[in-house]
Amino acid sequence: MIQPPFKKILIANRGEIAIRITRACRELGIASVAVFSDADRDSLHVFLADEAYHIGPSPSKESYLNYKKILEVAQQAGVDAIHPGYGFLSENAIFVRACKEAGITFIGPTPENMESMGDKLSAKALMKKANVPLVPGSDGGVESVEEATAIAKKIGLPVIIKASAGGGGKGMRVVRTESELESAFRACRSEGQNYFADPTVYIEKFINDPKHIEIQVFGDTHGNVVHLFERECSVQRRHQKIIEESPSPSVPDDVRKKLGDAAVRAAKSISYVGAGTIEFIFDNTTKEFYFMEMNTRLQVEHPITELVTGYDLVKEQIWVAKGKPLSFKQEDIQQKGHAIEARICAEDPITYKPHPGVIRACRHPQGPFLRIDSYAYPGYEVPIYYDPMIAKVITWGDTREEAIDRMQRALTEFVLTGIKTNIVLHKSILKHPKFLDGTYTTQFIEKNFEVLEPELFKEVEDPVFLIAAAITAYQDRKSKDVRRLNVASNWRRIGRKIQLRT
Amino acid sequence: MYFEAVLNNKKYKVDVHEEKTCWKVSVQQEGKDWIHYDISKNDYKSAEEYVSFLFHGKSYLIDVLGQDTEYTVFTRNSFRTIKIFNDEMLLHESLKKGGGFGGDSVLKAGMPGKIIEIFAKEGDEVKAGKPLLIMEAMKMENEMRATADVKIKKICVKQGDSVETGAVLIEFAN
Repeated sequence: MIQPPFKKILIANRGEIAIRITRACRELGIASVAVFSDADRDSLHVFLADEAYHIGPSPSKESYLNYKKILEVAQQAGVDAIHPGYGFLSENAIFVRACKEAGITFIGPTPENMESMGDKLSAKALMKKANVPLVPGSDGGVESVEEATAIAKKIGLPVIIKASAGGGGKGMRVVRTESELESAFRACRSEGQNYFADPTVYIEKFINDPKHIEIQVFGDTHGNVVHLFERECSVQRRHQKIIEESPSPSVPDDVRKKLGDAAVRAAKSISYVGAGTIEFIFDNTTKEFYFMEMNTRLQVEHPITELVTGYDLVKEQIWVAKGKPLSFKQEDIQQKGHAIEARICAEDPITYKPHPGVIRACRHPQGPFLRIDSYAYPGYEVPIYYDPMIAKVITWGDTREEAIDRMQRALTEFVLTGIKTNIVLHKSILKHPKFLDGTYTTQFIEKNFEVLEPELFKEVEDPVFLIAAAITAYQDRKSKDVRRLNVASNWRRIGRKIQLRT
Repeated sequence: MYFEAVLNNKKYKVDVHEEKTCWKVSVQQEGKDWIHYDISKNDYKSAEEYVSFLFHGKSYLIDVLGQDTEYTVFTRNSFRTIKIFNDEMLLHESLKKGGGFGGDSVLKAGMPGKIIEIFAKEGDEVKAGKPLLIMEAMKMENEMRATADVKIKKICVKQGDSVETGAVLIEFAN
C-alpha cells in the first residue's frame, strides 16, 4: 500500500462537504477530524469522522469562521493538514498563513493566489495581462458621471455599473438608456460606501441573457496547470446555482478548447496551486466568453467534473498539498458522457425561502450511475444558522438525455418529508423545454418559474392530500380522546386520594 | 367523523368513517357534489415511517405532519398544507362567532352531543351573551350563548337528549 500523504486531516467545515472530504481521507488511509458548533452536535459529518471536536456556538462567526479556535483544536488533535472545504475559511489568506505558522499544511492554494483573485479589479488587471478575455468596460474605477457616460458611449448600451467591493446583488445597476446613467452611478457609489465601505465603481458591457460557464483548473507546486473542462451553472435562483451540468450543451468544441486554454493561461499567470475555478460570462448568441472571477477553492459542483473525467478532485488536492505533481496531464483528461447535479435545499420551492426544521422520513435514491452527497437523515433537524443545501444528487449518463432522465428518476425516488425542499422545482426544471434544448440562461428561473403552486404540485391529485390528511386527523382525534380519558381518570384518582386524606 | 377542510383556498366538507377493513371517506368541495371513496385498509397502510397509499392504481408514499389544525401532507416530493377543523373546533368557532350553525333563526348542534342543561324557556327574551344551554360534546361541556338579543320561539330538545350534528336545538322568533 502507498504511504498516506498525511496522518491526520482536520476538516474545517460542516455538512455534505465535510463528509465528502472525510471519504477521501478514509480512502487514502488518513484519519479525519471533524469540528462542530453547538447546532451541529447531531450533524452527520460528526458521526462519520474518526474524531470530532466542539469549536463554539452556533453562529458561523463564533465557530466555523473562528480560525484561532480551529487551529487550537488542530494542534491538540495533532493533525498535519487542514482541508477547508468551500465557503467559511476556504479563501481566507490570513488563515492560510496562520496554518503555515502553526506548522500545519493548508490543503488549497497559496495565500498569494487568493489575494490576487480576491479583489475584482486587481484580478481583472491580472487577467488582461494574461490575455484572458474581459467584458468590455472601464479600466478600473470610474470617478465621475462624465467619465461613465463616455465609457458607456464607447462600449454601447446596455451597461452594468458595479461597486468594486460589492457582491450578492448589492451595488449593481443595469443601465439601458443614457438618462438612467447618472442616478445608477450615484446609487452604486453610495451602496458601495454603505455596504462595503468602498465607493469605487466600474462599468461593463451588460450581456443580455448570459450563461454561466466555468472551467475547473488544477495546478501543482511544480508549475503544472491543467483544466478539467467546463461546467454550466446557469440554472440559478437568487444568484445561486441549483443545477449544474458538464459538458455544457451550448459550448461548441472549438469554443471549449478556447475556454480551457484561457482558463489555464489565467491560472498559470498567478502560479496557481490546487483546485480552482475560472468563471466566465458566456454570450449564447455570439459564443463569446469573458472572465468573471476565479474561485480559489473546491466548488460545490465539483462532483460533475469528477464523474465526466474520472478523477477524484479531493484526493488530488490532498496529494498536491503534499507536494506531489499532478497525477494527470492535459492530454490524459477527457470528458466522458454527461453529468448533472441538483442541489437539494431545505427551502420553499415557490418563494425560495429557507425552511429549516426536523426531517421526518428520509430515503435517498439508489441505483445505477447515481451519486448522493448528503447529510440528511430521519430525525435530523436542519439548523437555521447555515446554508439550506442539505444534499446533492448527481447522475451520470452516456448522453445528456440519459443523465436528465436518470436525474428525474432519482428525484422521484427521493423521499424527504417534514421540511419543504426544492425537489419538486428541480423536477419541473428538468422537463422544461428551455432546459431540455439547452438554451437556458441565468435568467431562466426568474423568467420561466413564476410558477403557481398548483402547477408545481400538479403531479398529485387533490383527493390524495385530502384523504391522507382526513384519515390522519381522524386518528389523531381518536388517540386524543383516549388520552383525555386517561387524564380524567387521573384526576379522579387524585381526587379520591385527597378524600382519603381528609 | 366530520371535518371541514381548506386546501388551496378551496373549502371542503369531509366525513371519515373507519370500518374493520376499510376507510370510508366522503369529500365535498364547496358548491359541488359529494364524492365517496371506499379505501381498503390494504390500500392505505403503514410501511416503515410512511403510509403506502394505493389510490386509483397509483402508488403514493405518504407522510402527514399534523400540527393543531394544520396538516401537511408530503408525497412524491410535493406537499400541501391543509387546514382541518373537526367538530369541536367548529363548535368553538361557531360559539366564538356566536351564531351556531345555520344562522340566526335557529341554534343547531355543531357536533353530536348530549344536552346537559337548558337555561331558557319558550317565550323568554334572552339578552346577547347570556347562556342558552349546555351541551356536552367531545367530553367537554360547552355553554352555548345567545349572540344577539333573542326571543325563544321553541325549544326542540330536553335535558338528557342526545343530538346529532345539525340538529335544531332552539328556534328563535324573528
